[in-house]
This record gives sequence, structure tokens and C-alpha cells, in this order.
Amino acid sequence: MRLPAGVRDWLPQELAFKREIEETIRHVFRTWSYAEILTPTFESEEALERGLGEKLMQQTFRFTDPLGTLLALRTEMTTPIARVVSARLRNATLPLRLSYVATGYRYEEPQLGRMREFTQAGAELIGGPGVDAEAESLFMAIEALDAVGLSDARFDINNAAIVDGVLTAAGLDGEQLRRHKKLIADRNVVAIQDETIKQLAMMRGREDIVEFLRPLCKTPRSAAALENLEQILERARALGYRERINIDFALLRDLEYYTGFVFEGYISDLGFSLCGGGRYDALLPRFGYDVPAVGWMVGVERILLALERRRVDERPRNEVDVLVSGSDAIAAQERKNGLRVRVDVRGLDREALLVYARHKRIPRVIIANGGLVEEIDT
Amino acid sequence: MYAQTAQRLRAAGIDVPNETGRRLTVLSNDGKAELLLLRPTDVPAYVEFGAADCGIVGKDVLWETDRSVSEVADLGFGACRLVVAARRSDGYHEGARYPTFLRVATKFKRSAQAYFAERDLPCEIIALHGSVELSPLVGLSDVIVDLVATGNTLREHDLVVVDEIAHSTARLVVNPVRFRAKYASLRELVGRLERTAVS
Repeated sequence: MRLPAGVRDWLPQELAFKREIEETIRHVFRTWSYAEILTPTFESEEALERGLGEKLMQQTFRFTDPLGTLLALRTEMTTPIARVVSARLRNATLPLRLSYVATGYRYEEPQLGRMREFTQAGAELIGGPGVDAEAESLFMAIEALDAVGLSDARFDINNAAIVDGVLTAAGLDGEQLRRHKKLIADRNVVAIQDETIKQLAMMRGREDIVEFLRPLCKTPRSAAALENLEQILERARALGYRERINIDFALLRDLEYYTGFVFEGYISDLGFSLCGGGRYDALLPRFGYDVPAVGWMVGVERILLALERRRVDERPRNEVDVLVSGSDAIAAQERKNGLRVRVDVRGLDREALLVYARHKRIPRVIIANGGLVEEIDT
Repeated sequence: MYAQTAQRLRAAGIDVPNETGRRLTVLSNDGKAELLLLRPTDVPAYVEFGAADCGIVGKDVLWETDRSVSEVADLGFGACRLVVAARRSDGYHEGARYPTFLRVATKFKRSAQAYFAERDLPCEIIALHGSVELSPLVGLSDVIVDLVATGNTLREHDLVVVDEIAHSTARLVVNPVRFRAKYASLRELVGRLERTAVS
């Protein structure tokens, strides 16, 4: 029986490793004082659609219940969290710090790093209006990738308001502005006519790009956005992250989502990013709650892929501490002591038990026979 | 396209040999660059997945691909036109009307579909992989949508251009994440390739 495209089974060894990674990330969330939240795997299509752009709406798995209500599987967690915060957490003191490790579902062409059922770990900081919240998101992401063993990961940052400012100053608006933003986001430079914009779309750097952008950021909004990026670079320097962060004018990620600060984390071996996020102030107002929000998330399967490529997961695992034969009582006592106990259910003789234990890397064997108990270290 | 590509790369400072023999990969003389020799239609996949940092491929391939890659430079060589062509004897190029339901044979499904849809001409697209010029000669299709460089192949089969759809040249595409990860060297490569346009 074959599985449908885009989903997979997780066999014990693979799952154990995945859980380790998830727990490592959870630990990082806890050290930043985030609390874990969970929403349903499916909701009414109407509720989810409020937060999703056109692309995600096209990729949503939909189904109906027996009464004909149109339901949808969540494609990500940010929208459901926005919904529940608006509906049930208005009385909570801001800012809210909520994290999650949860599955998402998208109807996409399955490929490496893109499954239809996937796990995302993320964090939302709701009610933080300024650069402090943005820095927090970025620094958490850096710590998370460091914690899972990808300390060579780099991070690019940008601010959508800067791009808006530059394009507006170039005389673009409406459909033309949107078109250019998409070209920039895809870095399809050949289709851009304006030489300055073309050059900017290929630009990436730190202080050098800031200086280049400064005269082009004349509106209060874009000037403030540039100032924010500078501050983040400065704070990153203080933490020793300077060499790992760059400003990329063409980094925009999901155009319909991110209103300002945006960032992405990646390693050089893979062709796709590992994590990303940014400010999405326009989302919660759609649920009737006018508060700013910054968030980010990491694809757990992508982390696993990255580590697998680097052969980090190839550690032989020991799952059992002691093998017991011939005594329920001894086995029970060992379990009470907190050990992982395996009971022989095949009636193996001493020789066979030792062979088995060595094969499975079980360090101790206890054999009870009649009144005699023998303990062996393998 | 290898000869032209190699010439262009050499002008941009990547010294690659003129011949490749039967090898599928070629190293530059200083060992710093590796070229993967691929079918044009495979280039976007290699680049999207990061199996290659960047690729050189005709714009015609990019029109038809689903793969997301960043098109960062027009290299100018390999120029050709995507055209609608038909048998001279049918007279479409002189204003004769197409049949009510047109059969179009092509390798360029998307471009052909878009061209005829824009003109509100209902048609059936027959996807072929090669020797498309044969199709109207044996009655498989009324017209073809194909790439034309010198026009010799068309002439040889007594086919004429009915309309020009678009122009294609060789483009440099990059993997968006690799572009960031290897920014210094890739940005420089783009710059050198742009500055050393060989006319």
C-alpha cells in the first residue's frame, strides 16, 4: 500500500532524531521566555483564508464535513495564532510571546525540502512595535540554528518599506510598483529597466549598502526602516554576529505578508532557505485586533535534510539499557530504576542472548535461571 | 551553445577548454569553476535545486519551465526568434485565414498557448520534442511554433515565418540562496560577463 505523494512515515530512528531537533528548538524558545501554543489541525476555510495570500489559498487542502461546512487544513501557524490571540487573548498584557512546533499542510509539488505534510517550529512576538522586537526574532533564529548544529548559517535582512520607498521615489505606483516588487523579490533583474533599481536588486552588503540606500530613502517611513536595519546590524555586532548578517535589498519573501522587517536564514549547501520571518503588522487587524507582530519559523524537515547531508545524523543509537531473561520481577525493578529494559520473549539461551545484546548495543544482560541470577556486561 | 559559452566565460576570466570530449563536466584551468554540460531544458532544475550555483540557458527554455530561478543577466549570444511557421503553399504568411480550429505542433506549449489565446484563436497544441518542421509537411499540424536562428531549416522544408512571437538570447540564471551564500564570487561573475559582451 503506497502512501500518497508528499507524506511520509517516520520510522523510530528517524523520528527519534526529529524529536531531538524539535526539543532543541523548544529549549531555545523557552530560554527566550516563549510559551507554546497549539491550534487545531483544521479550521473553517473562512477563518484561515483571512490571513493567507493568494498563493497559499491555492495550495490549501480543503474538505467538507457531513453538514457541508467547508474546512481547511492549516498551511502554517501564524494565521491561526493571530485568530486565537484576537479571540481569546485580548486581555493578556502585551507583548505576547507564543511559540509552536506543529504540522502544516500544503498542496505543492513534492520535492526535496517540500512535503505536503511538514513540521514548522516558530515564534510570534505580538505587541512589539519597534526594532527591539525585530532584533529578538532575528537573534532567536540565529540561536536556534546554532543550537541544532548549523552554526555556519547566514542571515540576510531587509525591510519592505525601503523597497517601497525606493520604488515610489523612482515614480512607480500601483500595478507597476507591485510588478517591480515581484521582479526584485525573484531577482529577475533582466526584466527591470531602471538602472538604479536594477543595480539595487543585485546588491547585498552591510554599511556599504546602507550608504548607497541613504539618499534613496527620503520618505519618513523608508528612512526609519533604514535606520532600523542599521541598529540591528549594530546590535548583531555586539553579539558577535556581524559577519553572519547581510542586508539584501532583494529579500522580500512573501510580498503579501511582510510589511517591514524581513529576514531569512540559510546555509550554502542547500538551494533553499532554512528559516525566515519578519514583521507582519497587517495580519492581526484583519481579525479585528490592531496590534503589531513579528515572527519567524524554521522548517524542521529542512533542518534534518541539512544535517543529513552533513552526515550528522549517522550516529548509532542505543535504545536499550538492559536485557532481562527469566524474571519479570527483576525487569520491573530495573524499569523502576528508570532504565530502558528489554525482556527476552523468545526463550534464547545464554550464548544467543549475548550475541543479541552485542548486536543491539545493549550494555548489560541479566539472566535468571532457577534460583541463580547472572549479570553480564557486554 | 558550448563554443559560444566557453568563449564568453574565457572573456570573463573563467578559462575553460574548447573541447569537452564525452565528459559531462569540465573544470576551469585554475580548478575554481566546474561546468556541468546539460540539456538546455535541464538547466533550470539543476539551478533551482542548487546542484549548480548558476546556469547559462536560452530565454526560450525559461519561458517553458516551472522552475524558479533568478534571471540576472542577458548574455546576448545565441540569439533566435520564436515564430509561427507554416507551409509556403498554405499562404498564411500572405493573409490567408487559418482553419477554424488550428492544430499547432511545438516544443513550446506555454508560449504557443499564450500567443493564440491572446488572439482568441482556438487551437490544439500538439507537444513534440524534436523535428517539429516535419509536422505541417505530413499533415500532423497546420502550423508550428518553433525557434528560428538562420532560417535555413525552415527554408529547406519550404516553410515560411507567419509571425514573430518573441526573441530569445542566452541568459545567466542563479539559484537565489546560492547567490547570497556565494555573493562575492557570483556578483563578480555577473559583472564580468556583462562587461565582456562579445559582439
